[in-house]
Amino acid sequence: MSRPRLKLGPHLAKGVGAIALFVVLAYLVLRTTFPEVVGFPDGVNITASIGYALFNLPGGDVASEGFLAPFEIIDIVLVAALVGAVMLARRRVGGQVAAALRTGGEEE
Amino acid sequence: MIPTSYYVLLSVAVFCIGVFGILTRRNALIFLMSVELMLNAANINLVAFSRLFGNLTGQVFSLFVMALAAAEVAIGIGIILVLYRNFNDVDVTKPVTMRW
Repeated sequence: MSRPRLKLGPHLAKGVGAIALFVVLAYLVLRTTFPEVVGFPDGVNITASIGYALFNLPGGDVASEGFLAPFEIIDIVLVAALVGAVMLARRRVGGQVAAALRTGGEEE
Repeated sequence: MIPTSYYVLLSVAVFCIGVFGILTRRNALIFLMSVELMLNAANINLVAFSRLFGNLTGQVFSLFVMALAAAEVAIGIGIILVLYRNFNDVDVTKPVTMRW
């Protein structure tokens, strides 16, 4: 007889752990009482306000902190990450990074 | 008005799906997708609390989280490429040492 069978065993423990985490967190969330929702008033332009907040400009409809410094920092982080990805993905000819991560067995 | 606890519950569910994927899968690409799920759960929380308090800081912050997620995926894909080149596989249980 060939049919799919549920294989029980200790290898299921990790998945059960994740589900248990969900149960615990959901219980905590449902027990918590949140304050009344303030929300955004009608007619304000939220997208424009996000733009003003990103560049520390006055003129947004909704209150927010300024985010000019994080904006510039994330710029550098993105460039560094993309350059790093290109370095990693480069072919082996002259690529020191890929050569440093190479297995000992195969030399090409 | 949808109560905030529903949003937080959704975020918990998405986060736990991400944790489940990381704990049970062995494919490196699915690892990346699971990390993305966990980051987006945090985004759901940020936007929900932004609405709760009527303040835009959370929404702007979630934009930065998305940018960081993009950087992380770029590096992750690069690492997976090198992994595939060296092991002919993207199974994360195969590389067990930092140097070899």
